[in-house]
Amino acid sequence: MDEKTRDDLLQLFRSKFNRAMRFYLESCTRCGTCTDACHVYASTGQTKYIAAYRHELIRRLYKRYFKARGHLWPSLGEARELTDATIEELYEAAYSCTGCRRCMVYCPFGIDTQMLMSIAKLLLIGKGAEPEILTLLADTSIEKGKSMELFKEGFLTGIKRLEAEVVKQWQTEAGEAAIPVDVEGADLLYVALAGAHSIIPAAAVFNAAGEKWTLSFFEAVNFGAFVGDPSKTKLILDRIVNEAKRLKVKEVCVCECGTAYRVMKYLSGSQPFKVTSITEAHARYLKEGRIRLDKTKFPGPITYHDPCQIARNAGVIDEARYIIGHLTDDFREMTTDARYNWCCGGGGGLVALGDETLDFRMKSSRVKVDQVKATGATILSTACENCHTQLSNLNDHYKMEVDVQFLSSMVARALVPA
Amino acid sequence: MQTVYYIILVPMVYLAFGVFIVGIIARIAKIWREPPNPTPLLIHPVKKPGWLWTLTDTFLFPTVRRHKPVLWVFLMAFHICLLLLLIGHLELLADFALFQVIPHEIFLGNGFVGLILAICLLYFLFRRFVSPVKDLSVPEDYYLLILLFLVVIFGSEMDWARSWYEYGEMTVEDYRSYLLSLLVFKPELPYSTTFSGHSFMLILHVFFANLFLMFFPFSQLMHAILSLPMNKLRRG
Ligand code: HEM
Ligand code: SF4
Ligand code: SF4
Repeated sequence: MDEKTRDDLLQLFRSKFNRAMRFYLESCTRCGTCTDACHVYASTGQTKYIAAYRHELIRRLYKRYFKARGHLWPSLGEARELTDATIEELYEAAYSCTGCRRCMVYCPFGIDTQMLMSIAKLLLIGKGAEPEILTLLADTSIEKGKSMELFKEGFLTGIKRLEAEVVKQWQTEAGEAAIPVDVEGADLLYVALAGAHSIIPAAAVFNAAGEKWTLSFFEAVNFGAFVGDPSKTKLILDRIVNEAKRLKVKEVCVCECGTAYRVMKYLSGSQPFKVTSITEAHARYLKEGRIRLDKTKFPGPITYHDPCQIARNAGVIDEARYIIGHLTDDFREMTTDARYNWCCGGGGGLVALGDETLDFRMKSSRVKVDQVKATGATILSTACENCHTQLSNLNDHYKMEVDVQFLSSMVARALVPA
Repeated sequence: MQTVYYIILVPMVYLAFGVFIVGIIARIAKIWREPPNPTPLLIHPVKKPGWLWTLTDTFLFPTVRRHKPVLWVFLMAFHICLLLLLIGHLELLADFALFQVIPHEIFLGNGFVGLILAICLLYFLFRRFVSPVKDLSVPEDYYLLILLFLVVIFGSEMDWARSWYEYGEMTVEDYRSYLLSLLVFKPELPYSTTFSGHSFMLILHVFFANLFLMFFPFSQLMHAILSLPMNKLRRG
C-alpha cells in the first residue's frame, strides 16, 4: 500500500471519531466477558469471531496511528501497520459481524462492536475492497432519489397490478385507492420494500384500519448502512425524509426491514413526523379496536424472532407480543430476556450478499437453529426482511420444518372483515 | 545508593503524580472535545431510571456476574480492595474522622487487603495464559498486571511486617511525616525510611507505584473513568 492511499485511509478513520467512538477505542480490558456473546463464535468456536478480537484489529491501528504509544512502544499494545494484509483481516472481521450488538449486552462497559466495525467498513470502501454489489445497490437507490420522474411511470404501473391483488384477496371497497400513492396530506407514509409481499398485506391492513395512508416511491432498505458509508446512508434516508415533508404526513411507517427502521428512527433527526415500524402500527390498530384478528387462522404454536435492529437496537419488543397474543394462545418465547435473543445471522449486509455468504451464514448460525428448535413452534414469525430470508435459508439447510412467516402477513391473513 | 532512594522517593513521586493528573485531564479533554455520536446507542428494553442502572452497571458489573461468575468474584474483591487501599493511603496522610466510623488501625485491613489484591492479580494474570482470553490479550495487559502485582506485594510486605511480625522500625508516623512533607512541598525523608532494613520495600513499592501512575492515563486503565459514561450510553 502506498503512502498516499494510507494517508487517505487514515483520514477516513479519523472522520469516524466522536466521543463514543473514542470511549470504545480506549477502554477494552480484554477481559473476555464477551466471548460467548457472538453467535458466530458460539457456532464455530473460532477465536477470530470473538467480539473483542474483532475490535482489537481496529484498536491496533488506532494505537499505531492515533496514539503516541504506537510510535514509542508499538509492541506494548501490538500496534499494527495498515497494510493490504490488515485490510483483508478487516474484511473478515467486518463482514462476519452482523452488527447485532448482542456482545454489547455482555461487555461490562457496553462497547459497541457494530460501531467499531463501521470503521473497518469505511476503510474497506476507501480501499475499494468492500463488497461491490452493496455499493452498487446503494448508488442505484441514490440515483432513484435524484431522478424520481424517470421511475415514476414504471412504479405506478406496478402498483396498479398489486392493487388488483389486494382487491381480489380482501375485497376492499375502494377498488382504485387500494394502494394510494403520492397523496398529499395523508396521515401516514408507508415505506415498503420492492416486492409484493411487503406491499399487499400492508395495504390490506391499512385499509381495514381505515388509515389515511400513502405509499412511498422509495424502498426502505438502506444499502448505504449495510456497506457502512455514512454519506450514502444519509442520501438514501433523505429521499424519504423529503418525500414525507413534501406530503406533510404525520407519521412515517417503515416496513419490516430492521436496518431501514433503525436508520430512519435514529438518523432522521428531529422532524415534523414520527417514525414507527409496521409492527407498532399494527399493535396500535389492535389496541384501538380498528382491526380484529381471527385466532383460528394459524393453528399450532408460534414463536417470534426479534430482529436485532428492531428489538434490542430500537426497542420494538412488546408490540410484537401484543400482536401475536391476538393470533394464537400458544406463543413460545425464544428467550426470557429480549436482549439475549440470538441474531439470525443474516444482518450487516450478509443476506444482501446472497449466495456468496450462504455457506458462512449457515455455519455461523447454528445456535439460532437450536434456539428455534427448542421452542417446539411450527410457525416462526419475524418482522424483518433480512431475518426472514436468513431464517428461511436456515429452515432449508437444517431442516427445521417450521413455517417462516412475516408477522405483518400473518396479521393481514387473519384480518376479520369488518 | 541514598541518591537513588532520594530520586525515587521525592522527584519521581512528583513526576508520577504530575503525569497521572495532567495525563488524565489531557486525555479526557481530548475525548470530550469530540462531537457526541449522532444517534443514541441504547440497548433495549430500557429500564428506568437510567442513571441508577448506569451506576449499577459501573460499580457492580452485573454482566460479568451473569456470564463469568468466577471472574466476577475476583473482580469485585479486587475493586473493593482497591477502594480500601485508597482509603488506607489517605489515612497515611492524616486522620479522617469519616473513615474511622468503623474504628480500625492504620493501615486499614490488617494486611489482608494486600493479600486479597495479590491473589486476585495472580488470578487475573494466569487466566490470561489460557485461551481464549490469551488470544485477546496484548502485552500491555500482562505488564500492567505484573506491575500492579509488584506494587501490591512490596506495599503489603511493609504492612505484613508491621501487623504480623511486629517489625517496628518503620512506623506509620514515619510514613506520615514523609508523605506530609511531600504534600507541602518541603520534602524530608525520616531516617528510618531510608536507612532501616526494610527500606528497600518502601523504595520498590514507591518505584513501581510511580511507574503505574505514569502509565495509567495511556493504558486500558482509563476504563476506570470511561466506564461510567460508556454505561450511560448503553442505558440512556
Ligand atoms: C480506580 C479505579 C479502577 C482501577 C485502578 C482499576 C484497575 C483495574 C485493573 C488493574 C484491572 C485488571 C486488569 C487486567 O486484568 O488486565 C481491572 C480490571 C477490570 N476492571 Fe477495573 N479498575 C478501576 C475501576 C473500574 C470500574 C469503575 C469498572 C467498572 C465497570 C471496572 C471494571 C473492570 C473490569 C470489567 C475489569 C476486567 C478485568 C480483567 O479480566 O482483566 N474497573 N481494573
Ligand atoms: S467484554 Fe468488553 S471489555 Fe471485555 S473483552 Fe469484551 S469488549 Fe473488551
Ligand atoms: S455485533 Fe453481533 S455479530 Fe458482531 S461481534 Fe457482536 S455479537 Fe458478533
